[in-house]
Amino acid sequence: MNASGRTLTLNIFRFDPRLEGDQPRMQRYQLPESDGMTLFIALNKLREEQDPSLKFDFVCRAGICGSCAMVINGKPGLTCRTLTTASPAGEFTLHPLPAFELIGDLSVDTGRFMRAMSERIEGWVHREKAGNIHVLEERMEPALAEAIYELDRCIECGCCVAACATKRMKESFLGAVGFMKLARFRLDPRDGRDDADYYEVIGSEDGVFGCMSLLGCEDSCPKALPHQVQIAYLRRKMLQA
Amino acid sequence: MAEQRNYLRLLTWDPSGRRTAARLDLWQSLSGFLLALFLWAHLLLVSSILLGKEAMAWVTRAMEGAFLSPHGEGYPVIVSVIALAITLLVVVHALLAMRKLPSNWHQYRELRHSQQLLDHADTRQWSLQALTGVIILFLVPAHLFTMFALPETIGPEGSAMRIVAGGFWILYLPLLLVAELHGAIGLYRLAIKWNLFPSRDPRRTRLRLQRLKWAASGLFILLGLATLAVFVRIGLEQGGAL
Repeated sequence: MNASGRTLTLNIFRFDPRLEGDQPRMQRYQLPESDGMTLFIALNKLREEQDPSLKFDFVCRAGICGSCAMVINGKPGLTCRTLTTASPAGEFTLHPLPAFELIGDLSVDTGRFMRAMSERIEGWVHREKAGNIHVLEERMEPALAEAIYELDRCIECGCCVAACATKRMKESFLGAVGFMKLARFRLDPRDGRDDADYYEVIGSEDGVFGCMSLLGCEDSCPKALPHQVQIAYLRRKMLQA
Repeated sequence: MAEQRNYLRLLTWDPSGRRTAARLDLWQSLSGFLLALFLWAHLLLVSSILLGKEAMAWVTRAMEGAFLSPHGEGYPVIVSVIALAITLLVVVHALLAMRKLPSNWHQYRELRHSQQLLDHADTRQWSLQALTGVIILFLVPAHLFTMFALPETIGPEGSAMRIVAGGFWILYLPLLLVAELHGAIGLYRLAIKWNLFPSRDPRRTRLRLQRLKWAASGLFILLGLATLAVFVRIGLEQGGAL
């Protein structure tokens, strides 16, 4: 199992805000590396074998749920998609995602943020009147369906928000996940909103005109979504709205 | 929920100001674009001194509109007008760009923490852009006012005397460094921000723009240093002392 024979070192941020008197600190753990090991597997082994108090999130293990996002060696990412071989020295420093409420150690509450974001951009298909469920839906060109799907791949992991220094400085800033969602509905012909409606949502300094193009989102999105191009596109469209 | 939102909309409803955010962003970009182009053009013109005193004297006369006057004496006031226009652009650009700087301790601390925790090149470069922008804001007024008030002193000898005997090298040396960094980073960000070079592979385009940006900063700084060195030599030859 341990073909490499390496010993991994994990420096993990520890702090439980609900424990009285607890102080933020870095704790060092070591464990043997195994073949095909991801950081997610390593963390679970640590919790099983060394420290049951270690807090971190995961659900799917396959880069789909977005739960296991954290700052891995200075870059937001998913532990389930990070092989331990990614570090030549076998050493990882792990922090919880900033910009979100800390639950404890590496676990943050992205859910509340994502819900508020979704409500703010009204992230659902807006229709003038309810559709008739007894007739077939209007057809969509496969290319358009694919374009929508491409933007719909967002898993709301929060990496783009954590990586955004603009968002850190200005809490009311929407953030890349919101822009990506909105771009998705803007493409969707079933959504009845026009650009003037979208301008109401993102046409401000808390929206697309507050983005400073630092591209933390672009560089840390685990799904490699086209943030730079999409935000630029929205900005141009909102300028004309 | 819906009623509350409508009420908030009524409170902030301002038909004339609805598109202000878009306009401000566009003007920040446009003013920066014009200033960066001017910066490069300006340095190229000044660096004519590298081709000799005559070359720079010719450029100076041309900029003063010598070809317009019957005896070729030119109108230095044209330079004053340009200096005034650039000053206005700088004011507009500074006021608009200032909105993006951390404006209180909390914001500054958040930015610092973000940079300590995360290793991200573009964010670091933005910080450099912000820092150089602030430095420019303090350094450039002296330069602009001199050009506005004493346009007739521009020329191979006059500029050399200003730089050496007048001690302006102390101003020009740091100004050259920060302006050439700020301008190139700014143009790069404009290209990214508005996706000015759409391509099939935006990540590769961005990498190329990054390289181009560093190359532009480096080349113009080298050109500026060489230009400054020649002026210092001429100034010293004319009996000036640093």
